[in-house]
Amino acid sequence: MAFSDALRKELQEWMALYPEGRQRSAVLPCLYAIQRTYGYCSVESQNELGDMLGMTPAEVGAVVGYYHMINEEPKGDFHVEVCTNVPCMLRGANQCMHHLEEKLGIGHGQTTADGQFTLDHMECLGSCATAPMVQITEKATGKLRYFEELDSAEDVAKLLDLVKSGNAFHTQERWTPDADPNSEGVGAGPYRIGGMEERFLTARIGKPNSHQIDTYMADGGYETARRVLTEMAPEEVIEQVKASGLRGRGGAGFPTGVKWSFLPPTSPVRYLVVNADESEPGTFKDRAVMEYDPHQLIEGIILAAHAIKTDRAFVYIRGEYYFGYSRLWEAVRAAEAKGFLGENIFGIEGKNLKLVIHRGAGAYECGEETALLTSLEGGRGHPRLKPPFPANEGGGLYGRPTIVNNVESISNVPHIMRRGADWYKGFGTEKSPGMRIFCLSGNVKYPGLYELPHGVPLGELVYTHGGGTQLAEAAVKAICPGGLSMKLLTSDQMETQLDFEGVQAAGSLLGSAGIIVMDERASMVEVARRTVSFYREESCGKCTPCREGTTWLEKILIRVENGGGRLQDLELMEHLSKFIERRSFCPFGDASVWGMQSGLQKFRGEFIELIEQTNPSQIGPDIPIRPIYRPDTGQDSGLHTSTLPMVGESPLIRDKADVAADD
Amino acid sequence: MTDLVTLKIDGHEVSVPKGTLVLDAAAKLGIEIPIFCSHPKLDPVACCRMCLVEMSGPRGASLQPACAVPVAEGMEVNTQNENVRSTQEMMLGFILVNHPLDCPICDKGGECPLQDQTMRFGPGISQLVEPKRHKNKEHLISDTIVLDQERCVVCWRCIRYLQEWEDKPQLALFERGGETLIDIQHGQPVDAKTGGNIIDICPVGALTNRVARFNFRPWQIERTPSIDPHYSTGDNIRIDTRTHQIRRIVGRENMQVNDQWIADKTRFAYEWVNSDQRLQHPLVRKDGELVPASWSYALQYVVDRLKEISRKNGADAIGGIGSTKLSNESNYLFQRLMRQFIGTNNVDHRNGGDVAALATGLPALADIMKPQYGPNPKVDTIFLVGFDPSEELPILDIHLKRAVLRGGAKLIIAHPRQIELTRYKGPHLAYKPGSEVTMLNVLTKLAMSAGEKNDAELSKLLTGATQQALKDVCDVAVDEAKRAAELLAQSENALIIYGPMAADGPNGPQVINALTNLAMITGHYERLAYIGLDANSQGCRDMGVLPTKLPGHAELDDAEARARLEQLWGCTLPTEPGKTYKQMLDAAGGAIKALYVMGADPASERPDWAANLDKLDLLIVQDLFLTETAQLADVVLPALSWAESNGTFTNCERRVQRAPKALTNPHTKAAADWMILDHLASRLGANWPYADEKGVLHEITEAVPIYRGLTWEALGDQGLQWDAAQVRPTAEYRQAVQPEATASAEYPFALVTGTVSYDGGNMFALTKQMHNIAYGPIVGISPADADRLSVADATPVTVSSPYGALQVQVKISEQVKPGTVWIPESLPQSPVGALLNGSSAEYVKIEA
Repeated sequence: MAFSDALRKELQEWMALYPEGRQRSAVLPCLYAIQRTYGYCSVESQNELGDMLGMTPAEVGAVVGYYHMINEEPKGDFHVEVCTNVPCMLRGANQCMHHLEEKLGIGHGQTTADGQFTLDHMECLGSCATAPMVQITEKATGKLRYFEELDSAEDVAKLLDLVKSGNAFHTQERWTPDADPNSEGVGAGPYRIGGMEERFLTARIGKPNSHQIDTYMADGGYETARRVLTEMAPEEVIEQVKASGLRGRGGAGFPTGVKWSFLPPTSPVRYLVVNADESEPGTFKDRAVMEYDPHQLIEGIILAAHAIKTDRAFVYIRGEYYFGYSRLWEAVRAAEAKGFLGENIFGIEGKNLKLVIHRGAGAYECGEETALLTSLEGGRGHPRLKPPFPANEGGGLYGRPTIVNNVESISNVPHIMRRGADWYKGFGTEKSPGMRIFCLSGNVKYPGLYELPHGVPLGELVYTHGGGTQLAEAAVKAICPGGLSMKLLTSDQMETQLDFEGVQAAGSLLGSAGIIVMDERASMVEVARRTVSFYREESCGKCTPCREGTTWLEKILIRVENGGGRLQDLELMEHLSKFIERRSFCPFGDASVWGMQSGLQKFRGEFIELIEQTNPSQIGPDIPIRPIYRPDTGQDSGLHTSTLPMVGESPLIRDKADVAADD
Repeated sequence: MTDLVTLKIDGHEVSVPKGTLVLDAAAKLGIEIPIFCSHPKLDPVACCRMCLVEMSGPRGASLQPACAVPVAEGMEVNTQNENVRSTQEMMLGFILVNHPLDCPICDKGGECPLQDQTMRFGPGISQLVEPKRHKNKEHLISDTIVLDQERCVVCWRCIRYLQEWEDKPQLALFERGGETLIDIQHGQPVDAKTGGNIIDICPVGALTNRVARFNFRPWQIERTPSIDPHYSTGDNIRIDTRTHQIRRIVGRENMQVNDQWIADKTRFAYEWVNSDQRLQHPLVRKDGELVPASWSYALQYVVDRLKEISRKNGADAIGGIGSTKLSNESNYLFQRLMRQFIGTNNVDHRNGGDVAALATGLPALADIMKPQYGPNPKVDTIFLVGFDPSEELPILDIHLKRAVLRGGAKLIIAHPRQIELTRYKGPHLAYKPGSEVTMLNVLTKLAMSAGEKNDAELSKLLTGATQQALKDVCDVAVDEAKRAAELLAQSENALIIYGPMAADGPNGPQVINALTNLAMITGHYERLAYIGLDANSQGCRDMGVLPTKLPGHAELDDAEARARLEQLWGCTLPTEPGKTYKQMLDAAGGAIKALYVMGADPASERPDWAANLDKLDLLIVQDLFLTETAQLADVVLPALSWAESNGTFTNCERRVQRAPKALTNPHTKAAADWMILDHLASRLGANWPYADEKGVLHEITEAVPIYRGLTWEALGDQGLQWDAAQVRPTAEYRQAVQPEATASAEYPFALVTGTVSYDGGNMFALTKQMHNIAYGPIVGISPADADRLSVADATPVTVSSPYGALQVQVKISEQVKPGTVWIPESLPQSPVGALLNGSSAEYVKIEA
């Protein structure tokens, strides 16, 4: 294989986006380009790409193997992936999968005979309020689109007809059956947004052309950035953000201004990286901001970059957010045209900011900040040792001090700089100031995004804003208050204040503010299994407890679900999870077991009931016998073209017979 | 690093240097913390979580990996409490959950850290009732290394070795989560020449040795510390034997030499020792056929014929060829026999008297290894002339890579090929073979101006060394040479190493003169070194297997040395300088009537030599195999290998090291070199006083002043270096004259030779697992020339010079410079010597 000149040129353009000598950062965008060109990334193409990027074939292969969205084998013309994670499961993802299987006549992981459709499942696509949903990738163009609210068999049929008609990919905006009565493939617009009377972060979402720079500027956009960059010193910006008390919205809640002040003052090269790898199941807030108000984020980036004195920023967006990714690039180009990004921005001599949107390729772990940096550097998304922390010399992107902030955190910055720290502190609580975009999903009547001040009671969110439970007859059973990795709350905890301290006091964490409501119909065994399955699938594989522990837990849970459980399995699971927690390399280990642990603790009766019903005699499983181990040592390796003939016999004549008999 | 930090581990106070890892601080107290991924020679990755211990910190006590966290003042560490012990137990539980537990048929069983730690720290019982995960159990990641992905615990040691030492990330993690596995990219096997070291450092039985697999059980083997027989770095090895056979070779730590690493050829290519092609008994030619004979008959025949020829044609009609592959003891006795009984100085070895070598060797390998352990490398710049460590000395190669990558050393390369080490972007002077002198003279001139040192005497010697000559004669870019000159002038401690290729033939003395001038003016004369490539290249010279040198590098007319040796040996030494290796072989059948060849195979080097050898009145060959030379012999004496007898070898930095007898072969009549020579001596009328090889070494310590005190006992198992200052020539500027180049329209290509690790020699070729990676009969051609000649890979071509022709196959290589072709020495069925006449610089043509 040899790349065409056009492809080679495109790859070189991707490579040019990254700093000199860091061209391997372009490995994912280049692989996407190769996949679009050839339909998949063959080993030969990987090796040829490695040559261009200065990577060995094994290094490229390792990257390809890590990211689920890069295929080493061709898929169908349309790759249909159904989200089956907990929020979707609660709203009928299983039925959606069955409808697809029925209509397409294929099972999970299969491709139709005509090569048109491949069907797979996928873990949380950030579309929890509009479940059930699928993502479809068009092989010929590499374009990817979300098709949502596929509640019935008719909806699925309508979707497939649309795809077959060829009208499905002229836009990448999300599609719903209801919003497209004539099957023209039109976009459905943003999903439900609500909350306070006057909203800020989500104020513009839903307005016509809210993603365009003209409307953003008409609403006063970029004025704050212009003023701050002209009038305020970086230290003053940091002070104002510190004073606002803004805390990180990615999950850990670390004060943003304090983080910024950690940068070593003397280092000449530093980076800003925006974490847009929103992958925590139950979380879909950053998606809406990027799709419908990207300039708000870019203005925040300009302000943050000014504060930390960098001229280079990256947005690392998850690969599935193709629409948001496209819109962000569009917005970057528009901002560059206006002189807000690029060189001498806002007309200030010597003030530069280059912003690159970097698309991930399907790996939850890349939301962990050090894993994100490793991924951005062109590697597998493995977390790295801390210290040094990203803000330290040696710890960040390319070893340089780096600030990593969540999209929502950065989006708060323009508002804080425009209206002041005191205004901001007028919202929320003393320790958790400001407003929050809560992602409400699961069994509620109106799932969606609700922008509310920190401290709003859980009950108010669920009943006042969310309209209560999905069905009148099914009461709330459990609530996951901060994305799937957090411990479950129960229906008697509706008074819990939704701020960092309040949720912690209730025995869980606010995390990414993804609130998943489960009603009485949900099986807590299935919830636990799907939670663990998600983490098993997304574990990066670096450390022992997470890699082996999640696999083991999943096997036990599947067995329990299938009727082979024993009561001692519950203790075993508790024991295992205790040793994954706080022993793993990164916080992923904790996240992988907290949900299951709390489910087991709070709904133990359900597990016991299932086991006693399905396996009353507590019979353990049969363990299969191991195969013959000792293979032949004398065979030609086939790894090289021989220039010398083989001589002599195998040193293990007797094994040869064994192996032959075995074959 | 003098700052000490004091902390408490399990209640015991300990003070260690700042930066020490908790793991090492605990070890200092004798507290063992179990590990898998951590390795003292690799950077921490902290992925196995086996070493989690409780450490106090600003946010209270927490479990932290001891392998990655440095000590802190006042830190309290607990390695024994319930929390830590239950964690250790469970981590092993996690590791074992998908491990196949096939210990009974696992090579690692019995010496496996996973087994040992399971016994000491693991759970007593498995809680697993699920089916285990299945992966590939016999996965070849190279021709010599087998990966069992089920046994693998994903500790990354192998990945990190290839990355951090070889700088060749050819292994990586693929897939993720529970499916994570170590693998190569499909179709791209590990080709690092020291890749086999990952077998030694694998903490489980995941990586096994394809040559040794299933051939040993660790508790049944005998272990003998020894020395690698292939390379002049003298890498320390351990030979594992059972029932008179070598079962395995592994690396042995010597921090002065090889760290703990050995090359793949060292590790895997040992099948020749136990080969059934080995000579079992003496052979004597009768009626044109070599037929088995008794030792007494064969030895008496040798003695009688030698006496007869000596009587008839004089002592100088007899010559002896020793070997750089054999021990000091074998070579010492060999030259003693030739000088004492035959009475001739016609004694030499391949790359001996024909190569302008320096006796001093490298200052110390540790000077290059230094950077990995401390911030102050002793050597800051390394200049390689006509030497390709990646092919010729793989362990030196990884030392150099570390010096560059971790020590910040600068690398300058003068080599006609774009050798692997040029990837570090140091100056590369891709000179035309044969133009070394001009290149070095110009470099000297440039270094003089770069270092602002004006030496009138030297300037006078360099009048012809112009930048124009650099372009015309050497085809080297002036800018590259300027970069190199600047680095050498700026360097405080530069090491200049030249190989046999640069100093061969009539060119040699001129090259050494030019190098001396360069080294002197840049202040690096003490670190100018010739490097021989074979295991005993240095020792063979030290022992006086040279036509113009007595043992200890003494001149033939050195009265003190003569007196010492004559008294010790009880004889009068010959005074006339002898013939060199090439001279003897060229004269064989002419002035030379008889040759005694020990451990060499000149017939395979050049067809005309083979013809000459056939014309001899007497050819005695002492060897392990019936080589091409042995097939021409009148008497063949079967010898024992380095593993079957005691011996010492002197490496490229003058370290004398022991290679003790590791096995006996009760079925063979072959005898050790010293014993054969000793018996010949007694039949020649003397009674040598040796009881064994150690006795020979004892005599060497008396006969060779630089070896004084280096007895078998004193050497120990890490060896001792002798002092180079005793034999270093006085520094003086010398005229270096460029010999004429011989390019012509008919023969347009400059021939590049040199050696490769995976050649056609018996010591490599008899290991069948390595056949696929061996070089065949090839000629390396640049892509541009291949295009011009319309030849592709594997096209059969004829390469010819005025002296001969070779049938070889084309191998297109980016490493080869247009206008040159590359044919390494010792390739099977393609003796490059057929094209040469006295020097390794020659011009050739290629015809399809």
